[in-house]
Amino acid sequence: MLSLLAKLFNALNSESSTRQISLAIALGFIVGLSPLLTLHNIVFLFIVLFLRVNIGGFIVAWGFFKGLSYLLSPLIVNVGESLLTAESLQSMFDAFYQFSLFKLAHLHHTYTLGALVIGCLLAIPLYFISNFLIEKYRLHIKAFFEKFRIVKALKASKFYRLYCQVSGQGELS
Amino acid sequence: MSRFIRWKGLVGFFVVIALIMTFIYFFADALVKKGIEKSGEWYLGAEVNVENVEIMYAPLTLNIEGFQATDPEKPTYNLVSFSQASAGVDVWQYLFGKLYISDLTVAELRIDQPRLSAGQVFTLIDQNVENGNKGADNSVLPGLDVSLPAVDELLNNSDLLTVKQGKVLEQSYQTEKKKLQGIYETLPNKDTLADYKKQVEALTNIKINSLADLEKLNKDFTALKAQFDADQAIVKQAKEQVSTSKALLTKQTQALKEAPSADWKIIESKYQLDSVEGADFAHMLFGEQAREYFGYADAVYQKIAPLIKSSKVDKQAEKTTSEGRYIHFNDDTPLPDVLIEQAKFSLILPQGEFAISGKELTHQHWVRGNNSVVNVESDNVQGSGKLALALDFSLDKQRILSGNGIWKLSDVDLNAVSLQESSAFTLQLDSGLLSGKGTFSLLDDQLDSENSLSLDNTQYSGAGTSHLSTLFIDTVQSLKTLSLTITAKGKMTAPKLSISSPLDKQLKNSMVKQVSNKLTSFKTDVKAGLNTKLSKALGMSNDEAQSLVDVEALISQTDQALDNLINSDVVKAKKKEFEDKQKKKLEDKVKKKLGKLFG
Repeated sequence: MLSLLAKLFNALNSESSTRQISLAIALGFIVGLSPLLTLHNIVFLFIVLFLRVNIGGFIVAWGFFKGLSYLLSPLIVNVGESLLTAESLQSMFDAFYQFSLFKLAHLHHTYTLGALVIGCLLAIPLYFISNFLIEKYRLHIKAFFEKFRIVKALKASKFYRLYCQVSGQGELS
Repeated sequence: MSRFIRWKGLVGFFVVIALIMTFIYFFADALVKKGIEKSGEWYLGAEVNVENVEIMYAPLTLNIEGFQATDPEKPTYNLVSFSQASAGVDVWQYLFGKLYISDLTVAELRIDQPRLSAGQVFTLIDQNVENGNKGADNSVLPGLDVSLPAVDELLNNSDLLTVKQGKVLEQSYQTEKKKLQGIYETLPNKDTLADYKKQVEALTNIKINSLADLEKLNKDFTALKAQFDADQAIVKQAKEQVSTSKALLTKQTQALKEAPSADWKIIESKYQLDSVEGADFAHMLFGEQAREYFGYADAVYQKIAPLIKSSKVDKQAEKTTSEGRYIHFNDDTPLPDVLIEQAKFSLILPQGEFAISGKELTHQHWVRGNNSVVNVESDNVQGSGKLALALDFSLDKQRILSGNGIWKLSDVDLNAVSLQESSAFTLQLDSGLLSGKGTFSLLDDQLDSENSLSLDNTQYSGAGTSHLSTLFIDTVQSLKTLSLTITAKGKMTAPKLSISSPLDKQLKNSMVKQVSNKLTSFKTDVKAGLNTKLSKALGMSNDEAQSLVDVEALISQTDQALDNLINSDVVKAKKKEFEDKQKKKLEDKVKKKLGKLFG
């Protein structure tokens, strides 16, 4: 857990572009909301690994949003239920249902569809919000926080040593 | 391009996928084993053990070995266990969210077998589940079994009408006798009558020479006649008393004569000697067994019913589940969520080995429009007995269960089957050959079943605690063939059982015949006793009646004698005699005077 947080902070402090980290958070959000072993999660995992998305950020976001998904599950199910039972969408889903891929992706399951739809829809604003926040962090917050004594104390802690090992920076001055 | 693409990541992706696949490949068996155990324990509330699970991938086949599910009510027993099960699963459909098992085989399926060690119980089962009609209707024989009283004891019962009426009659005789005695004493006796006769004769012998003599005679006779009248009044009163006494005693004698019949009716009713006619022997003997077999069906239904009921939950409620659900759309080849196309079970029970085959087993029959079909066959029921059962059932969209079935059983050897173990008597079927057939249908929770059974070459043993129960056992033992018709109608959880049989008639005839010997003897003794009492009462009264008759005769004679005396016209006769005499005298005088005149 500590190493994961260290990775996140490393990513935030590293030279990785903010967009890479924001994309990792957005993708982590989509994958985190959905059940673990689904076809679209494999696709998103492929995207995360194949594109230059910050993996540390993705793993942390995935873990965080997985936890959040338990709280959001009634909402997720309701969204999926509303979509799959909507009269106007019946013909569309009927057509999709004839494709094995649709059924293989379990998109006829209320939770899976709800999670994917909510994930995809909210991932876009989440991407931009994350982008904005990371930029702000790098500009102001990092410097602001480093002034605190607690941060100085943290730098002397085991967590910081771990962080340094992950980032490969060794001891900071 | 390389700004966006991470070629190493591609390798990483495949490594991750390969790792997942490897993990599944190596740990799937253990995961499925754990999954079966945990889900079984969640459903049953008791320990479930699986010895080994093996998954083969081409084609996907799941092999389960050594399955044991603890009975939560009897932790030292397994509710169900089997040595090996194999299920061929359609991977593609499984990935689509459907469980389609093309072929399921379960070997050595056993029910209610002891475990090597007691299983853990996680949830307590409600022990207060209604237990059908167990133990009901067991009251016929105990009712009948009231031991017959000793005849003497019965006859000494002062409440008997015969005794009561006898006493009343005897009392009446005494009372009437006293009354008549009183009157009898006032009646003129023979001497008086003889004296009267003498007096009348004396008056008759008096010579009437003058009118004065005639007048005296008239006066004497009138005085005597007044005495006759007084006596006759007494006789009349006596006659009336005799008539009243006679009417009363006749009435009471008649009541006494009818008393034994009335007493017998009371005895018959009190000791239920007539209940043999109405006893439901078949139900009494086989009701418990029938209830037990329907109890098995009920137990199965109780396990299935919650699944059916839970699937009856409306769609609004389904939406609220946080796990979501599959929604299936129109499909060219629709499949239910769970479907077992072919299933074969080898069920081992203490009664024998049963081959069960099933087709189209599902809970969504409307999807493919096919009913589930189950066949049960065995050729070693209780040795060499044969069983064939065919059942088809289906659930409609409203989750209403409907099913029909037929069964046939033949040449089943029955040994040491306990039929009755009550305080009144025990009866065991030592041996017999059972055959039968039946039909049953189920609509929702309503059962309608009609079954006929035939039991041949029967041998029974048993012991009774009373003469009647012993007689009953003797009667059953004398029957070599029994046939039964068992119908069960009503709620599956508490069907109304009706067991009818020529057995009832056979038993009744036989029982009545045997019981009637005892009853006849009892009846004869009681009736003889009653009649003796009657005769005694009547005999005693006969003596009294004789004296009554004597009194009556005497009164009649006295009355007649007095009548004769009253009607003896002494005065008139004497008057005529005197007139004749005077006339003759006068004639003689006239002749004499005329003779002188003409002579």
